[in-house]
Amino acid sequence: MRFSCNWLQDFVDCADVPTARLAERLSATGTEVERVLEWPGGPPGVVLARVVELERMPRSDHLWLTRVDAGGPEPVAVVCGAQNLGRGALVPWAPPGTVLPGGTRLGLRRIRGHPSSGMLCSPAELGLGAEREGILLLDGDAAEPGTPLADVVGADRVLELEITANRPDCLSHLGVARELAAALERPLRRPDCTPPPRSGEAARELVRVAIANPDGCPRYCAEVVSGLPDRPAPLWMQQRLRAVGMRPLGLIVDLSNYVCLELGQPLHAFDLERVRPGGDPVLVTVRPARAGEALLGLDGVERVLDPPTVVIDIGGVPSAIAGLIGGMAGAVVASTSSILLEAACFSGSAVRGASRRLGLRTEASVRFEKGLSPELAPVGAARFVHLAHHLGGARVHPGPIDLHPGARPPGPPIRVTGEALGRALGMAVAAPEAARALRRLEFAVQEVGDRLAVRPPPDRLDVTIAADVLEEVGRSLGYDRVPATLPGRRCPAGTVASPAAREAVRELALGAGFDEAITVSLTAPLVADRLRPLAPPWPPIEVRNPLGPQGSVLRLSCLPGLLQAAAANQARGAERVRLFEIGRAFWGPSAAEPPEEPLLIGLVDHVPGGDADEAARRLRRLVALVVGVGGRCADGPPEVRQGRVPGLHAARAAELWAGGRRVGAVGELADGAREALELRGRTVVAELRLDGWLLAGGPAPQARPIASTPALVEDLAVIVPARAALGPALAAFAGGRVPHLESWRLVDEYTDARLGPAHKGWTFRLVYRDPARTLTGAEGIGLRAAAMEVLAEAVGARRRENA
Amino acid sequence: MTPEALAALAEDALAAIAGAADPDQLEVVRRRVLGRREGALTRAGAVVATRPPPERPALGRAFNEAKGRVEVALARRSGQLQADALARSADGEWVDMTVLDTEAERGRLHPVTRVLREIEHIFRGLGYSVAEGPEVETDRFNFELLNIPEDHPARDGQDTFYLSDTLLLRTHTSPVQMRTMLGQPPPIRVIAPGRTYRRDNPDPTHFPMFHQVEGLVVDEGITVGDLKGTLLTFARSMFGARREIRLRPNFFPYTEPSMEVDVSCFVCDGAGCRTCHQRGWIEILGSGMVHPQVLRHGGVDPDRHQGFAFGMGPERIAMLKYGIEDGRELTVNDVRFLHQF
Ligand SMILES: [Zn+2]
Repeated sequence: MRFSCNWLQDFVDCADVPTARLAERLSATGTEVERVLEWPGGPPGVVLARVVELERMPRSDHLWLTRVDAGGPEPVAVVCGAQNLGRGALVPWAPPGTVLPGGTRLGLRRIRGHPSSGMLCSPAELGLGAEREGILLLDGDAAEPGTPLADVVGADRVLELEITANRPDCLSHLGVARELAAALERPLRRPDCTPPPRSGEAARELVRVAIANPDGCPRYCAEVVSGLPDRPAPLWMQQRLRAVGMRPLGLIVDLSNYVCLELGQPLHAFDLERVRPGGDPVLVTVRPARAGEALLGLDGVERVLDPPTVVIDIGGVPSAIAGLIGGMAGAVVASTSSILLEAACFSGSAVRGASRRLGLRTEASVRFEKGLSPELAPVGAARFVHLAHHLGGARVHPGPIDLHPGARPPGPPIRVTGEALGRALGMAVAAPEAARALRRLEFAVQEVGDRLAVRPPPDRLDVTIAADVLEEVGRSLGYDRVPATLPGRRCPAGTVASPAAREAVRELALGAGFDEAITVSLTAPLVADRLRPLAPPWPPIEVRNPLGPQGSVLRLSCLPGLLQAAAANQARGAERVRLFEIGRAFWGPSAAEPPEEPLLIGLVDHVPGGDADEAARRLRRLVALVVGVGGRCADGPPEVRQGRVPGLHAARAAELWAGGRRVGAVGELADGAREALELRGRTVVAELRLDGWLLAGGPAPQARPIASTPALVEDLAVIVPARAALGPALAAFAGGRVPHLESWRLVDEYTDARLGPAHKGWTFRLVYRDPARTLTGAEGIGLRAAAMEVLAEAVGARRRENA
Repeated sequence: MTPEALAALAEDALAAIAGAADPDQLEVVRRRVLGRREGALTRAGAVVATRPPPERPALGRAFNEAKGRVEVALARRSGQLQADALARSADGEWVDMTVLDTEAERGRLHPVTRVLREIEHIFRGLGYSVAEGPEVETDRFNFELLNIPEDHPARDGQDTFYLSDTLLLRTHTSPVQMRTMLGQPPPIRVIAPGRTYRRDNPDPTHFPMFHQVEGLVVDEGITVGDLKGTLLTFARSMFGARREIRLRPNFFPYTEPSMEVDVSCFVCDGAGCRTCHQRGWIEILGSGMVHPQVLRHGGVDPDRHQGFAFGMGPERIAMLKYGIEDGRELTVNDVRFLHQF
């Protein structure tokens, strides 16, 4: 919200404080200065002038010939294109030679043959506001013609402040002035609310008010004001309104807005003559809207209302949505001279609900929805009638209306001690010092020794407990005074979590050349379904209120996101795309229960050329990587079970199993999935679940003594079917059925004409050893037979003769 | 035969040795000088033996010196020629040592993970443990227990992704605070890193998904000073030893008092620059003393135990630290971007 320093100066001396210091003091007490604008006054040379003659220029549909009295001996002829002039209006006239803020230098001109000296100016032309249409109209009594505009409209400094949600009191100049007064340690002056003399018919003879739902409206104050003149608000007031971003709209509306921006109490004026056609008092009822009831708002939008929304019903007609917007029906117009002024307290939740349901936020609603004090309503009404009387010469009727069904007796004060405040802050705090700080913020404080009984000012509804008082004291004394310490207390003995196993897995992936990616866990349903090798057969969980279809479900796997990133990289011409991500997926049958959140690592390696052999090499490396990652597990490395995995190449895919559970999948992306992603070339992918088994840790590995007896080393050549997988063969060797077998590895895989296409050759290097003695060649024959038998069983191998 | 003649013989031999271009030529030279029968020096030696005894000592010394010089020169030249020969044959196996195998290149850590690791490292050093919680949270843990009431603006569908009436994507990692308090008695020192979600349309500083690190300390006699000291230690560890912090009052429903924490700009040292928007200070985290009501919800008696909490955004820190202007880059995963870290 924007604040005018001229306005703040009414309540606290701050005009002399440099901007930087103002910003620093406000920031230190919790109000952030986002921007400071230098707001210009009237440009030099421009004077006030009264329109003495006004006629249409012949043969023009919009130009006017005017003569204005600018304080000189003779009226001046000025041609003007604005349509809001009237004879007698007081307007700014820029004489020839004036340079306007836009840089235009004015002179004596002829327009369609008519002489025109200088120009009459709009607020925008003077740099005083945004309004370009219409000449700036001044209060007729503001000053004599010839008075420099700068005397009437001084320059201002405008602060744009960020007001936190708990401080609706600071959505007003008085509230910020109070903060400033405390921060600068200067006295606060309250605005003049002296009651004006009252005369005429009593308000209750004209208006009766009833509150049908006190929950939505704890207090309703109203005044009847008549004899309001049809003229603009004083220029200084217009200037302040413009400075804080509000457009002047006429005396009544401007006064209401002014009081709202000054005190934080929203006001609303109804045209009394329009809402009270007859002679009897009109009945004003604050009530819930009836379902389907419509109201045409001041913004020209017709809204259909629902019961929880509160309306102001005047004479049976819904005339305003409480705390949100007035209706056209009772709206004030230029000719309005009598009004019913509403200064009410509507409940925050009622206004917030209505605002949300109707999708409408207004100056009034942003204040009400944060919760305003009912004590503020009569103050707002009093300030309005004071200004209406003194600035507009209006008549204020006797018997102001004040219904306060939500009135509560004051609760007990908040009790704190200097000792407790100091203990919480971590520095010594003397009770009198705390009391002084609180009083500067208009808190009532009773001091008894170290004990303080504190009552916040009525508009500080945010202060209810001792911790709130602590904050007031802390921010007043300044946190820069608090010494920086570390909490140095004894903690019970325990274990220190080992530097996460997850980080070790991350290191393995990095070491294998994969770049770490972070992809968004929200995705599109089709994308989520594209590749989900580990997910149970449930659909992805939907977000009820997604930002768009691209992020409407929770992912089931890291892989689709990584593949999208790979495709995007490929589209940008990247040659090497090797990505991994460690993150959670979300698996559950529905959104009724919290889903399982497995921690996954997904890896994607893209082979741009699409070479099948290269893809096979990368795939093997990837398998080695994930099996290696799994090697950290207590159950040993996971078993690779070749087979079909949806979304993966039918002949190049495998599942990983550990401890009887499927923990991963690895393979080459199937053509279909690749095309859907617009990925050229081949891509190998893997996904491995990390939580539950891998990160759980396990017993430390146990060393065996390394035997020093000579080994019997033998190469075993066998013939196996062409599609035999190595895994089962190695598993068979590991099974312990070949005596003395210490190690085994494949040293050659080959095909040749003699084998034919249905078979391939394998040569294993087998190392046998007995730790106690040297094995003999004769024993070797038996061992070879045992190894052969095991292999034949596992993969249908037979012996290759004279290899 | 004179000593001078012997020296001259040696000089000739040395010149011939230096002139030998390969081991074969060197062998020819050797035989010519030191050959058992025809070697010039060998023969001179035989002559020395025939001279009258009074001449022999001087001639003998001159002979030994000449022979020593020749032998050393032969050995040196031979070594040199061998090394040259090896070098010539190795040249056929030349490897360009400045070429790195891209296949063996290490992958890059995501900048957000870099920051997360650094944060974790700092707080582990201060004795904190690391806690995690689910990303799909209940309304109760994400809002209610944290003192964010039913009609608080933060609970509007505007800001939160809902999955059902009660399930949502957590908007902060603060629910982990509550789960920790309910799971163990004080003292508590814990940080909770993780992914969080807000219904923000992406722009350079807002993302529907981002990370947060929440910290919580609960113990007897915890003060605002402890909060300040902890965060000062963090700021200096993270951004440099000369950093200062300042606490600015602010408002969060789950802390009272609440403060925003600024760190003095690590680019300009507080003088004012683009990174700090000429302010000299950069806002890095939100913090405060845990609200008594939140402590009670966590089963902690606020009369006995106090606490502080803080929350920071690794994306924001990464953007500041690494000069990333558009934070949306962080989830695009362009390898050109990732390779800068
Ligand atoms: Zn800077």
